[in-house]
Amino acid sequence: MDVIINLLVNGLATGMLIFLLAAGLTLIFGLMSVLNFAHGGLFAWGAFGGVWIFGLTGSFLLSMAGAIVIGMLIGLILERFLIRPVYGDHIQQLLVTLGGMLVLSELLKVFWSPNPIPAAVPSYLQGSFDFGGIILIKYRLFVILVGVLIYIALHLLLTKTRLGLIVRAGVIDKEMVQALGINIKQVFTFVFLLGAGMAALGGSLLAPYSGVIFAEMGMQYAILAFIVVIIGGMGSVPGSAVAALLVGVLGSFMAYFVPELSLAVNMLLMLFVLLVKPSGLFGAKG
Amino acid sequence: MLLQLDQVETYLDQFHILQGVSMEVKKGSITVLFGRNGAGKTTTLRSIMGLSPIRHGNIRYQGEEIGQLPTYMVARKGIGYVPENQGIFTDFTVEETLRLAMQKGSDEEKEKMAWMLDLFPDLKLYWKKQSGHLSGGQKQMLAIARAYVNSNGLLLIDEPSKGLAPIMVEKVMMHIEQMKQKTTVLLVEQNFFMASRIGEHFYIMDEGKIVHSGQMHELTDDEEAKQKYLGIA
Amino acid sequence: MIMMVRKAGSLQTRLFLVFFLSLAILPLIYDSRSLYILCTQIFIFAIFAMSYDLLLGYTGIVSFGHGMFFGIGAYSVAIFMKNFGATTGNFLFGILVAVVIAAIISYAIGMLSLRLKSHFYAMLTLAVSQLLFVVAEKWRSLTAGGDGFTFSVPDFIRDRFSFYYVCLLAMIVLFFVLRHFVQSPLGKVLKAIGQNEQRAEALGYQIINYKVIVSVVAGVIAAISGGLYAGMLRFVNTTVFSIEITLDALLMTMIGGIGTLFGSILGSGVVEIAHDGLTSLAKVHPIFERWIIFMGLLYIVVVLIFPSGITGSFNNWLEQRKKVRMQQKEIQMEEAGKKAG
Repeated sequence: MDVIINLLVNGLATGMLIFLLAAGLTLIFGLMSVLNFAHGGLFAWGAFGGVWIFGLTGSFLLSMAGAIVIGMLIGLILERFLIRPVYGDHIQQLLVTLGGMLVLSELLKVFWSPNPIPAAVPSYLQGSFDFGGIILIKYRLFVILVGVLIYIALHLLLTKTRLGLIVRAGVIDKEMVQALGINIKQVFTFVFLLGAGMAALGGSLLAPYSGVIFAEMGMQYAILAFIVVIIGGMGSVPGSAVAALLVGVLGSFMAYFVPELSLAVNMLLMLFVLLVKPSGLFGAKG
Repeated sequence: MLLQLDQVETYLDQFHILQGVSMEVKKGSITVLFGRNGAGKTTTLRSIMGLSPIRHGNIRYQGEEIGQLPTYMVARKGIGYVPENQGIFTDFTVEETLRLAMQKGSDEEKEKMAWMLDLFPDLKLYWKKQSGHLSGGQKQMLAIARAYVNSNGLLLIDEPSKGLAPIMVEKVMMHIEQMKQKTTVLLVEQNFFMASRIGEHFYIMDEGKIVHSGQMHELTDDEEAKQKYLGIA
Repeated sequence: MIMMVRKAGSLQTRLFLVFFLSLAILPLIYDSRSLYILCTQIFIFAIFAMSYDLLLGYTGIVSFGHGMFFGIGAYSVAIFMKNFGATTGNFLFGILVAVVIAAIISYAIGMLSLRLKSHFYAMLTLAVSQLLFVVAEKWRSLTAGGDGFTFSVPDFIRDRFSFYYVCLLAMIVLFFVLRHFVQSPLGKVLKAIGQNEQRAEALGYQIINYKVIVSVVAGVIAAISGGLYAGMLRFVNTTVFSIEITLDALLMTMIGGIGTLFGSILGSGVVEIAHDGLTSLAKVHPIFERWIIFMGLLYIVVVLIFPSGITGSFNNWLEQRKKVRMQQKEIQMEEAGKKAG
């Protein structure tokens, strides 16, 4: 029993991290039709930046905030100089964001190290809780908590604010939004920065979770996030939340029971969705 | 003149869609743009909105050149747009749709909203319903209400009768006629009988050009022109 | 007009022949092992890049996992050589098996994703290639995991001089085969799809079929290049499945010029020589170990500013010049006409 609960908690925590990456990806895609292959780079920069700031200040809160700032700054550069110039040309966008990914992850190796570097859990999040014999690791619960908070904040933003209305409307019909007198390009920038910030936060949370960080992890998690976005449906935040948790939990159980199949199961899930409902579980767009 | 198009030329990819369109819309009137499929009616409205950028020519609204403005600036000048597919935000409630349409939340906008809800009581009835689940006619009214609340002086409405049952068409047309009290309308239609009853001026397009225009009653009486341009015997 | 095109075509073919001939003479003039190795690698990656150009340049399909076919070719050849002996027959058989596997996988991926928007193919190829990477890591009894394994090869492959010619010949043959392919009526359809998919569809073409054909042809040719690569290294490990291999193809086709085939050969030369040069600079400053940064920046600049690459930009320039000359000629003729009149 405690194994099952631990695997579940583990999977949910991983799912939350993937969600932070996938939420931005899906919103950026839904609104701008840009599949941002550099998104994993933002995640990795968040991880490295977070560890670096934690090392300097010793404050985990500061390191998360710093990671978000770093992610948004890089996001701003990406949006301005890579994506905006080729706006509307899907192939060029795909190509240029991949180039961005390449440079971002190589720069990590230049600034820090091409080798994995260790990441520590802050002291107050070390250890575990004991719930009547079931031992739960504090940091994992913390990750889940942050994920839930971010989801709620995102949900409120999208449903309660005018900006959120604009974003959701833009996912459905960009032209109509502009015909209502809204300058959607400004909204693009906002959404891109929001996505970049969430990705970087995800990276900074992952670092203590996995214990080591390395430049290639950006691409690894980005692939998981792509799978999640396809499963959940492009443009749908609830869809990517459900799919991320699904992928996280499934991955955690498979890794324990049938480790050989742990990556394959995500692939199979994605193939299944592509075959049965290419628009994804919650997706309106194909 | 509220709106003037002068020798407007628009390309989609390499296709020359609008080949010098000139037309005028008088304030307080309903002007109807007729023409068969592919004549360029929709592109004309999209060109006015800046959704299909014009390559040559001028578009003036209230005397001001708007031909090169981006779509959102055109909308801010006061032109409301109801696209052919209605452009409904499917997972929005009616309330959310109209909230998005109110740019400033000013008293003027609230007044417009109140009038719209008087005119279309259905919208009030389904205030919290997802607009994707409304009937075709209700969606059309929502789209018109959204455009009106958002606009200030001119509505462009693209084929509101499309896909609606005849009785709904009549209702929608009646509402459009009522809206003339408060705004000017440029209406694209294929349904001659319905549109001719509410329109005062008309233009007929064919292959990207205006081929005929005048007062609506002239066209109603002109069997030859109807036969020639609209294929109505 | 048609006459002119044909004339230009034959001029182009002649230029290609001169270029290939000089490559054939090169080893006879310079006797340098390292030059052979560099050139052989350029030829192999040129084949790989041409296969990518077929996807991206001619049909507008973006793949982020094209390297998997390269990897399949490399592993197939390596496994046959190691387990069944270093004979020419086994080498060819290894390539054949790779071709079959590549065809099946590329067909399946194509059927699954090419009817959807372009990013689905990009994502699916990326995901499948990562999966193969993991399989190669985990299936240690066959692949020896990340460490990889060495194997011996027949003499004509071992000998740098003769293998130079094998790869050069393969590149030339495949270049002309692919050129023929893209200039055939089928190739014209591909280009139409690449330029405007909706229009091609409106003209009544079953786009999905054409795209799947391209996906399979590109996969098969990439597998061949991978097989040659394993032969050259006499060693294989999981790096043949890494994303860098796909990135190489992207860099080479983009820099050389997409939709030209010949651009892939040029691009391969530029990237490989730059790689060679930049890594040797690593002794001067460690930043040059990260040579990919320079390539990545170059790539971004190319995508943003010269999307038609070296060959494309050169062609544009030629055309521009031709236009200007024609105009000048017309003006002269007009003036002459006026004088005569």
